[in-house]
This record gives sequence, structure tokens and C-alpha cells, in this order.
Amino acid sequence: MKIDLLIPGLPAKTDHFLFGICSLLLLRVAGRTILFDTGPFRIRPMLIAALNARGLVPEDIDTVFLTHLHWDHVENLDLFAHAEILAPRVEFEYAASPRPNDWGTPPYAHEILRDMNVTLLPDEEQELFSGVRTLLLPGHSAGLQGLVIDTGEERAVLASDALWSARDAVRGVPDVAFFDPAKAQASLDRALAAGDVFYPGHDRPFRLQDGSVVYLAQYRYHLSFPFQPFGQDLELEISTERSAKTATLS
Amino acid sequence: MNAPPTITLLFTGLPARADKFLTGISTVALVRLSGRNLLFDTGPYAYRPILQGRLKKLGVDPGEIDTVVLSHVHWDTAANADLFPNAEIVLHEKELAYAETPEAHDAETPGYIGRALRRLKLRPVAGEQDIAPGVHLVELPGHSPGSIGAVVGNALLAGDAVTCAGDAAAGDVRHQRGCDERAKDSLARALNLADVIYPGHDRPFRIGPPIAYLDDYAIRIRFFTDPAGPDEEIQVGSFAAKSFASWP
Repeated sequence: MKIDLLIPGLPAKTDHFLFGICSLLLLRVAGRTILFDTGPFRIRPMLIAALNARGLVPEDIDTVFLTHLHWDHVENLDLFAHAEILAPRVEFEYAASPRPNDWGTPPYAHEILRDMNVTLLPDEEQELFSGVRTLLLPGHSAGLQGLVIDTGEERAVLASDALWSARDAVRGVPDVAFFDPAKAQASLDRALAAGDVFYPGHDRPFRLQDGSVVYLAQYRYHLSFPFQPFGQDLELEISTERSAKTATLS
Repeated sequence: MNAPPTITLLFTGLPARADKFLTGISTVALVRLSGRNLLFDTGPYAYRPILQGRLKKLGVDPGEIDTVVLSHVHWDTAANADLFPNAEIVLHEKELAYAETPEAHDAETPGYIGRALRRLKLRPVAGEQDIAPGVHLVELPGHSPGSIGAVVGNALLAGDAVTCAGDAAAGDVRHQRGCDERAKDSLARALNLADVIYPGHDRPFRIGPPIAYLDDYAIRIRFFTDPAGPDEEIQVGSFAAKSFASWP
């Protein structure tokens, strides 16, 4: 089976806001059309466009796999009111009453999910569909679950934010150990040992080859900053195509 | 004696655009009067920890915010209203009715916003009124069904009725998405209500003529393009002279 990258995660940070652009994947298995995470509101039009480009509309997604209930993975859930939502039970129960200092989990996430067609994933690993196994990766959040997919040729690890970016693989340390640092470390180690190709939560898919990160996708972002009302816009472009780089593992 | 209210920007809005995401860099302002703290808009969820940090830095506990005014309930203005346990959430009753209509959700209004708001202590308003001494609510519909602004002294907290100085200069709502035909009238009215405008997505400016910004801005963005190497960093605004030297 093929893993279709709808939107690559973006490893970027600013002092002004959180990007929250996470990897959104489309999986077709067992007659299902599965969306892996739903992304933050800021990419809603791009998610719809990415589906449209494949001849799909949101109503064609019959299954949504939610890795965890942070804002940047659930903000587009309302587009998929008709779908079966697969979500970790630990996440769902935790979200009913998040820790007071947990700004990542929206206070309404539990309530919204409760009224959807949700199937809660137990706190043990299982084969969800043929060749698709869940992977328990807690630590970034209370009960994050990823997937390991046997594509026939290799094993792909859809790690979500247990592997925030490829930098986590280079450093061997999780960048965003939000909930429980010790568990986050164990989950990063586990994710990196679980397959051959990796889909991070907020970065492009990559392979580790001879100790180096080899990205499997590129991205290009165009930004414009207007100096209104009379100035010209400042146009900036960030492109990994210009400087496709590999990194050496420490 | 009541001291006149003061406006402190927690987030300076920016009319920045990107090709592959909505920027949603909206204005959040703290209005302080004797013994009271009002928040005008709350930004997108993506502001949440930064908003908490900036309030803390100002010495304002979330419990001390007694009023949150939502200019409208788009994704990038209303997402953090729940952070203030003692606040009354003031919004126009037409805006609340729109938020509560699930089928009405549009490209800027999440379907769950009504439900998220319903958990809070809401104070829907209709008509124009003082919500605190020296803080006068005005109706500026068009950008959304119940867009409101707040006149504070000689300034207007405009929400997206005035999105940016470029729209003010043009007298047209070129930078608004999905607004209706009243938006242009509301823009014109907004520009007659005050000398200084705090737009929804731009720095505060004096109407003039000529239009003159009252504040600079600075934003830094780091892209981890190389997992083992240095980040690429964009610095825009008052960092500009420094950043362009190193930017290819």
C-alpha cells in the first residue's frame, strides 16, 4: 500500500505564534480512505485543496486516525463529521480534564470528539488493518499512538510528534517532550527502531542512510510581508529544493 | 476619579501572507482601567502559550481579566477566550447566533466554535454601549455577521472591520476574505470614529492624512531546513537591516 503525503510537516518556529503545521497523510487500505491527523486550522484550505487534487472531498474520508488530541492535530476535525474517528483511549480520557498547565490540548477536544463516531484505541498495540499496526508512543502527550505500515517493501513509521522533526533523529533526543520527558525519550528510541522510513510530526518524511538523514520530499513556502500602506511588499521564499541537504548522525 | 483607559498591545497584527498556510497574525490588546483589565480579542490557538507568557510578563494573572471582547469569532480571534476563568465574554448576539449554527461554518469560522464558547460565561450584546467607563462598543458588521469594535479614548480597536492600513488608505476591503457588502460601509464608519486605529491585522496607525504607523514590528521565523546544521532564519521588521545582510 502507498502512503500519500498530503501536506508535509513544517519544522519552523517563530516568536509570534506556533506554526503547528503537522504531517497529513492519506492511507488507502482495506477499502478505507484514511486521513492521518487533521492539522491546524491554518492549513484548512490547503487540506481541502490537497484532497481535491486527488479527486476527493472531505466527505470521501471515511476514517480519521488521530495520533493525539493537541490543537494542531484536531482543529480540522469538524470537516469529517461523517467519518469514523480512531483515537487513543488514553488521549480521549485525559482530554476530559487536561492538566492546568497543558496548553496543547484544547479544553473542548473531549466534548467535540464525544459527539462524533469515535472508536477508542486501547492502550495496547494491535493490527488495525492488514499491514497497519498501532505503535504506543506516549510522552509528547498522554497517550500518543503512531502507526507502523508494512508497504510490502519496507516498514514506514508514522510517528507523529513522538518524532517532531528529523533533528530528533540526528540528536537522539526529543525536541518537544511536552508531557513526560522520560516516556518521550523511550518513545523516540522505539519509533526510530521500528522501521526503515520515518514520517515525523512536523517534518518531511526521511530515511536514515549510512548515518545520514535523506529527505523523501521537498517543500517551498512563499511569504510576503507588506509594508503598508505605501511601501512595497517584502517577498521571501524558503525552499528546501534550493539547498537539499543531508545530515550526519552524531 | 477614574484614570483614562490605556491600551497595551499583546500581539501586533500583521498583514503577512503565505502561499501554503493562513497566517492569522491578528491583534490582541489589553485595555487597563482603574481596577479592571479587558482583553480585546484573543488570537488564534497558535498564540496560546505566547499570550499566557506575555500577560505574565506584564504582571497580569489570567484571573484578573474581567472582560474579554471578541470582535468576531473567526479562528484567529476567538480561540483563547477560555483562558480567563473570571472573565465575561462579550460578543455580539448575531455573532454568537452565527457561531451556534453549525451549518453556517465558513472558511474562517470553525464548526466547533459555538460549542467551545458555550462553556464560557457569555454576555451577548446588541446595539452600541459602554462596557466600561471610557470603553464604548460599536457595531461594524460585514467582515462577519456581528463584528464589533471598541472606542477607547481617541482610538478604535477595530477588529477586522479595518484589517490593515492598506485597506484604510484604499477605502476598500481588499484584504478581507468572505465579507459581505456592509464591510465597506463599516470600514468607512470605523475611520470616522477615532484618530488612531488598531486594525485586526496590522500595526496601529494614525488616520491622518497621511496615514502614519505608530509602532514598529519585528518577527523572527526559524526554519529547521537542515536537521544537523544551522537553521535558516527570517527576521522582518525592525530587525530588517540586520537580517537582509545574511539573507540570500
